[in-house]
Amino acid sequence: MSTVARPTAMGALRSPGEASRANNDVRLSVEQVSYAYSPNPTQAPLFTLEATSFQARAGEIVAILGPNASGKSTLLKLIAGTLEPLSGKVLLSGFPTHSLTARTRAQRIAMVQQESQLLFPARAWEFVLQGRHPHGRALRFESATDIAVARNALAQVGAAQLSDRWMAELSGGEKQRVILARALAQQPLLLLLDEPTLHLDIAAQVDLLHGLRHLAVENRYTVIVVTHELNLAGEYANQVVLIQRGKCLRVGPPGVVYQRELLEQVFQTPLSVELGPSGRPRVNVVADRESR
Amino acid sequence: MHHTKRFGLINIAGMLLPLLQAVIATAPVIWAQTASTASTTSSVQNGAPAQTFREVVDETGRTVRIPQPVTRIVSLAPSLTETIYALGLQDRLVGDTDYCDYPPEAQKKQKVGGAINPSLEVIAHLRPDVVLVTRHLNTLDTVHSLDALGIPSYATDPRNVDEIVASAKRLGDVLGASEAGAALTEELQRRLDVLRQKIGALPPRRVLFVVWTDPLISIGKDTFIADALRRAGAVSIIDSKQDWPQVNLEEVAHLQPEVLVFADSHGETTAQHLDVLATRPAWRILNAVRDRNFAVISEAVNRPAPRIVTAIEELAEKLHPEAFVEKPAADKLSGNTVLDAKCLCAR
Amino acid sequence: MRPLTIQRLFLQCAALAGILFVVVIIALKAGAVEVSLFALGRDLIRVIVHHGSEIKSDYGLIVMNIRLPRILLGIFVGASLAVAGTGFQALLRNPLADPYVLGVSNGAALGAILALLVSPHLALLPAVADLLTPLGAFLGATATIAAVYFLGRREGQIDSTTLLLGGVITGSFLAAIIMFLMTSESGSNLRGMAYWLMGNLSTSLQPSVYWILWLGFLLGAGAIYTTASDLNLLLSGEKEAMHLGVDLPRVRLVVYIAASLLTGLAVSVSGSIGYVGLLVPHVMRQIFGSDHRVLLPTAAFGGAIAVVIADTIGRIVVPPAELPVGAMTALAGAPLFIYLLRRRMA
Repeated sequence: MSTVARPTAMGALRSPGEASRANNDVRLSVEQVSYAYSPNPTQAPLFTLEATSFQARAGEIVAILGPNASGKSTLLKLIAGTLEPLSGKVLLSGFPTHSLTARTRAQRIAMVQQESQLLFPARAWEFVLQGRHPHGRALRFESATDIAVARNALAQVGAAQLSDRWMAELSGGEKQRVILARALAQQPLLLLLDEPTLHLDIAAQVDLLHGLRHLAVENRYTVIVVTHELNLAGEYANQVVLIQRGKCLRVGPPGVVYQRELLEQVFQTPLSVELGPSGRPRVNVVADRESR
Repeated sequence: MHHTKRFGLINIAGMLLPLLQAVIATAPVIWAQTASTASTTSSVQNGAPAQTFREVVDETGRTVRIPQPVTRIVSLAPSLTETIYALGLQDRLVGDTDYCDYPPEAQKKQKVGGAINPSLEVIAHLRPDVVLVTRHLNTLDTVHSLDALGIPSYATDPRNVDEIVASAKRLGDVLGASEAGAALTEELQRRLDVLRQKIGALPPRRVLFVVWTDPLISIGKDTFIADALRRAGAVSIIDSKQDWPQVNLEEVAHLQPEVLVFADSHGETTAQHLDVLATRPAWRILNAVRDRNFAVISEAVNRPAPRIVTAIEELAEKLHPEAFVEKPAADKLSGNTVLDAKCLCAR
Repeated sequence: MRPLTIQRLFLQCAALAGILFVVVIIALKAGAVEVSLFALGRDLIRVIVHHGSEIKSDYGLIVMNIRLPRILLGIFVGASLAVAGTGFQALLRNPLADPYVLGVSNGAALGAILALLVSPHLALLPAVADLLTPLGAFLGATATIAAVYFLGRREGQIDSTTLLLGGVITGSFLAAIIMFLMTSESGSNLRGMAYWLMGNLSTSLQPSVYWILWLGFLLGAGAIYTTASDLNLLLSGEKEAMHLGVDLPRVRLVVYIAASLLTGLAVSVSGSIGYVGLLVPHVMRQIFGSDHRVLLPTAAFGGAIAVVIADTIGRIVVPPAELPVGAMTALAGAPLFIYLLRRRMA
């Protein structure tokens, strides 16, 4: 265990404090992972994610932060194991996520993302029960354990009363909670969320992040959230991975990553950073560009 | 029944097909009797002499103006082509359909396409004086198109054997060959009379006329084929108003026809087919299948043309062989069964 | 929260099986020939218990050799089409999908027509010659399944949209060939083929064929049933299903092949009976919900019931003629479809 800052990705330095944390808490290890996508072999790659590294422990929330089209979702998919990295590896408790079977992956990693249209009507409890699928045999009926887990998951997200409602009738925030409950029903190690706050109002956004922090701490989940909401990330994340145009620029706690010049460079707009009441940084948009 | 759009219905969406076919199966299309008026907008055929016309009423009630004399004829049905040859007018036949195969010389004539969808261009190019159509095969669309081109069309519509004979006579009149028509008709009538003398008193044999086996399709009681069967000393066990009813095998098994009748000019195919039928448990219930009681007659029975009389005679001989045996002077046949070598028809 | 239990599934299937049994009894009784079911039952028992020879009575022969096989065929065809339809609707994520949308029925029809054209020129044993048409139909179906599979792939795996496009195009192409072949025949040849294409249960088959059909049904429906839970997840979305552990490529391949084979078998022996594969899954979904573990077996029963009823009505409505079962399902199916459509929109 070294206290010297180790260079990881290009231009990103891990702060000394982090490196000194105990290694046996590390659950997720993203090591020099890169990716390139080209629609056909003769063309140059359309999109690249350059070598990125970070680590996450149980009970932590990591925010992958950056403007649109910076590669955040790609990084999330690499972590989820649905994409194979061009180089480097993603290790979850020591196993590369891409080499797991879909079933094993689903037992350890749960993904929460924008829902496709439901083709046929379903009730909330049916929806949440789907999360138990990875844990059963091929042709099975739900056991008492499954039902208990599903019920518990709904309670954990505060949606127990929604159990018998039709999914199509739920509001955006309520739906988001049920989707999260389904992810929890998978009893995963890793909880991945892709822009979960997109269609939520402020109250619901705060609710969600607050709930996630509670879940992470209480149930020892590792939560990775892709977002472009600076203040939510700053308030709730333990670590921030700052990405711009496929390059990881900084990894560290919000206090370290939220430097004004860096943020302005990434988000291309004048900003100011101050310390909020909770001791975490708060970012403000500078309205009047002339007065600085 | 033979609507233009019949074959266009067999289209991609398997859903539409059964629905529309159901309508067709249950409600035969009615050929509008008052469909078209006389084709009065006739173009001048050639430059100099004035054309004389003759107005006739065809068998569907339409009034048609036909240029005289009739020198160029196009036939749009195999039955009509046969009738033209029977009337001796084949030299005036300038075009017929792809399916006109009897007599064999008819195959050498200029082809104008199918009966349902002939090529109007080719017909027009042949400059016919009249186009012959028949209600049971050709379509109203074709007639309308010919009208629009100013080409007269004469339609026949024989529904039974008598009408087939009368139709041939009328055709002879219309085409300017009255004597030939009269002679033909007399001959046909004579043969039918002879037949009636021979077998008229005998009890008719109960038969099933098989059009198709999978599914089982027979003929309705109002068709000319049913009438032909009656003339041959048979009666179809199927009593249906549809022209081509799909018949329930149970019903046939219940009625137990004596003989199965097939129209097939090449008997070997039918013989093979019957061997196949005999291996099916359901068909073996029929006595006629087990005992191999079948009669194969010429396909002429399917055409409302003079040759149908030949087919009728053929069938009559197979069904009532004893009526056709030349009785030797002193002997009479006792009640032995007579087996015809060509067809195993045991009484 | 009332999750599915095996007891509930069993009860629902038993109820439907009961309805099917009643329908079969009615179908056995209905028809051109009067049947005394009591006497028939007694004779049947005698035959089974004493391993006696065939039933002697007139009606007995008719019922055992004509009516009963036809009813059994109807059960097979109805169940196969309904299960195949359910599978395709899940696979293509499209509630309008029916078993024929991917062109399999046209391939089977073309195979049957070609067999019909070819068979007079081959010298075959009669029993073999009789199998030629269903065999040709089945080969046509199989060829179409393979062709559409290769057309429907993207990056080596079946993709729903590409599959649908490939299937529709293949179907139209085959339909055009069929049209061409049929307009180049004449007279009674044509008419017979048209009736067959309409969808018909009256073809009487060699006994061996029945065994093949039932084996095929067990294999095909069984294979699809093993993916029932996966199909439930598939309805939430393909990405979501993958993240929930569904092996998407394998599930797609299994459902595609199994559903296509079921369709091919059904069409090989009965032509294209329409609306069953489309509507029975919808009706069962309204009653029993979208859980495929229930939907698949209940759709099988529902399809069997629908086809046997349609065929029975077709047999008794215009004696001595009969209306093809495909016409009956269309006449009933179209209004039902409109009704269901309006209910969804209301």
